[in-house]
Amino acid sequence: MILLLLLPATVLIALIFGIPLIRYAWISTHAFSVITGLELVPNQGANWLRLINDQRFWQDTFQTVRFASLSVSIELLLAICIALILDQKWRGRGITRAISLLPWALPTTIMALGWRWIFNTPFGPIDQIFNIVGIESINILSNPNITWIATVIADVWKTTPFIALILLAGLQSIPNDLYEAFRLEGGKPIQAFFKITLPLLRPYILLAVLFRLAQAFGVFDLIQVMTGGGPASSTESLALYAYLNAMRFLDFGYSATLMLGSFFLLVIACILSWIIISRFQYQLNEEKT
Amino acid sequence: MNKKMNIIIGSLIIWSIAPLAWQLYTSFSSPEALVEPFSQIKNRWTLENYIQVLTADPPFWKYLLNSTIVGLTTTFITLLFAIPAAYSLSKLKPIIAKSARLILFGAALFPYVLLFLALLEFARYLNIGNNLIALSIPYSALSMPLAVLLLSSAFKDIPKDLEEAARLEGLGIFQRLRWILIPLIAPATSSTAILIFLFSWNEYPIALTWISKNDLLTLPVAIARIAGSSVYSIPYGAYAAATVLGAMPLLLIVLLFQKQIVSGLTQGAIKG
Repeated sequence: MILLLLLPATVLIALIFGIPLIRYAWISTHAFSVITGLELVPNQGANWLRLINDQRFWQDTFQTVRFASLSVSIELLLAICIALILDQKWRGRGITRAISLLPWALPTTIMALGWRWIFNTPFGPIDQIFNIVGIESINILSNPNITWIATVIADVWKTTPFIALILLAGLQSIPNDLYEAFRLEGGKPIQAFFKITLPLLRPYILLAVLFRLAQAFGVFDLIQVMTGGGPASSTESLALYAYLNAMRFLDFGYSATLMLGSFFLLVIACILSWIIISRFQYQLNEEKT
Repeated sequence: MNKKMNIIIGSLIIWSIAPLAWQLYTSFSSPEALVEPFSQIKNRWTLENYIQVLTADPPFWKYLLNSTIVGLTTTFITLLFAIPAAYSLSKLKPIIAKSARLILFGAALFPYVLLFLALLEFARYLNIGNNLIALSIPYSALSMPLAVLLLSSAFKDIPKDLEEAARLEGLGIFQRLRWILIPLIAPATSSTAILIFLFSWNEYPIALTWISKNDLLTLPVAIARIAGSSVYSIPYGAYAAATVLGAMPLLLIVLLFQKQIVSGLTQGAIKG
């Protein structure tokens, strides 16, 4: 009877998460595009072979990893600072929290276009300020070496509040007595941060990093709207490449292969970061003893 | 010390608001002012952008309405499925419940944009593209894992004796849910509901591929379309006006439900 209550939700989740993955596995071993007349024709792993030899796929993997790791690390550092501040008691804390939540709550597409305007050369404020200060304008959104940094900034702006809130929950779960005891033993606040706060915050950091890493790895909205993957596909993410293959080149077989490929890479990335963060904890414990 | 903190808090607020403020400023700027943002010119201010957005075909409020419809249906369907599932999860044997939670956690992490192709095939196969109510089916499924996780931890927090007493009184399982348990988890339900609503309001890739009719677009897609209309000259003034109008409902939601949003996110973190 109790299991019966679980059924509808399970069916829905299996339908929307499970079946697509199985379907991708099936499509990825077939030629399936406008050329085949939208028929599935088995092609003995040709899609996977193409994936391995596809330079654009590896370039996009590099870009996605670069984007995800830089933005998640900046977000994590900023979020720890913000969470430490929000954890104190001061007037106006509630309203500050609400304001800092706003970037997170807005649709990504809205602010992706907003950032495109802000970084516009020569009419956007950044370029105008550069002009006034006397720095040469650097064509932020048309220089393949710089544009990806602009997308990182937009991402940091949007998702730092989210991480900060998760870490804040972690901070609030640490009992005050611990700090009190540490202080009485003559420990300095900065030591308390490394010996108490950081180790106890670890599960929350892990959670936030895993969550954000997965999201940043599948980044799509921001890139598609802000840069369209350009200039010279320098900001193209794996998800955007898979999208283009399906919707523009109408090669569904290869698109499905790309999506499964990205999924495998993501799983590897998550396991790696799990190991790194656990190792970090281990070292902290070693220091303590 | 205090002064330092004020500076940090001040910059946090400015950092969060400045890009939005720039949109607000742009939305009231005339075309001449747009290209000279920091110089003195006449005719700087205009309402033209707002008039253009509100009198376009379809008018802008239509997109807001569409997004609201999808948001409300999604929230309703998700809760309808998630509440019983969460209850059942909280009653299962620890080992099974733990592995179920792990699977749900993985699904909640999953970058769902990777599912869009199969979901598009699904929509074509059943011929349910261009239908706002149908759009809430994948949305409900995508927000289900998080909803079940949040709600099942709320169910777990309810003292066992309470339900036991109700059972001895002769209340059946549905009566217990309806009269005892669901009222008790109301706070968790409301924060879950807001998170679901925000997710479906903001969702982009699936709406982009499922909806092609102009007057059925949801807000994020409609706004992205303004950009897509031409690569070289985006009507930034009109666009900024659309942004401001589109951000208003969310501003309201965040201000009104700040507590629920925060507790939803943090509960997820603590129990996850």
